Amino acid sequence: MNEAAILDHQFRVAAYVVTWVIQLGYVAWLTMKWRAQKREAARLGVDRAKSGR
Amino acid sequence: MKKIAIGLYVSVTVVLLIWGYYQAIYVAPVDAMQGEISRIIYYHVPHASLSFIFFGVSLVGSIGFLAFRRSRPERAQVFDAWALSGAEIGVVFCTVALTTGPIWGRRAWGIWWTWDARLTTTLVLWLIYVSYLLLRRFAAGPQMQTLAAVLGIFGALDVPIVYMSNRWWRTQHPAPVFGGSEGSGMDPSMLSPFLWNMLAWFAWGVLILGIRFAAERQQQRIATAEAKAALEA
Repeated sequence: MNEAAILDHQFRVAAYVVTWVIQLGYVAWLTMKWRAQKREAARLGVDRAKSGR
Repeated sequence: MKKIAIGLYVSVTVVLLIWGYYQAIYVAPVDAMQGEISRIIYYHVPHASLSFIFFGVSLVGSIGFLAFRRSRPERAQVFDAWALSGAEIGVVFCTVALTTGPIWGRRAWGIWWTWDARLTTTLVLWLIYVSYLLLRRFAAGPQMQTLAAVLGIFGALDVPIVYMSNRWWRTQHPAPVFGGSEGSGMDPSMLSPFLWNMLAWFAWGVLILGIRFAAERQQQRIATAEAKAALEA
């Protein structure tokens, strides 16, 4: 494998990793938000099922 | 039943993402001109294209909110939740497009960034929706949702400009692969992996959009309960 091909490979890997870091980072933030909401809802007695969509 | 359906959808999405990755890395041929780096197309283009769909969801939500905010306040809240969720997922997808693009550009063009029509209009689109999210996060008062809806509608006006930018102006960014001039298109050996990734990322986007929408509806219920508790106190 020549140097250009190695660099291409590294850049491609970097792009794929960045994609997953952003997507999974967002999901992690969403999960934290969801958990905080669950605690808050329990404190206030808000029932997701009862209030419906 | 609902839990089973959600579990099934999550499973299908994960399988699609793994399959998409396999297609992009092991099935798609290496581009004759660009080599290995061209495989970024299977992640970059779906994210850029799908961000338009999610900004479209935000547009519909914003219009719906403005249309129903006086006559059907409860329905307006549902539209508002869609508007916020669409904008947020759109920003996530657009962020991926704006970061993978320069990584690709550095190898293909030798530069990380250029003030090309497509890149600049996409950055403006991203900035508008980031402003939208900041407005939602930090502004308070009864007019916040209305202002956000108006900003969401104005932001969506940039979507067709981004789409047409590399048709109207020929600069650094490549000409459109789909719906471009005569001779544009993708080789069938690359088209199949591309479409699988498009489908996989669409399924993923819909999944996180649904989760974000449910979270926002719950937030609205909490806000209502808090207001009620404050009045009763």
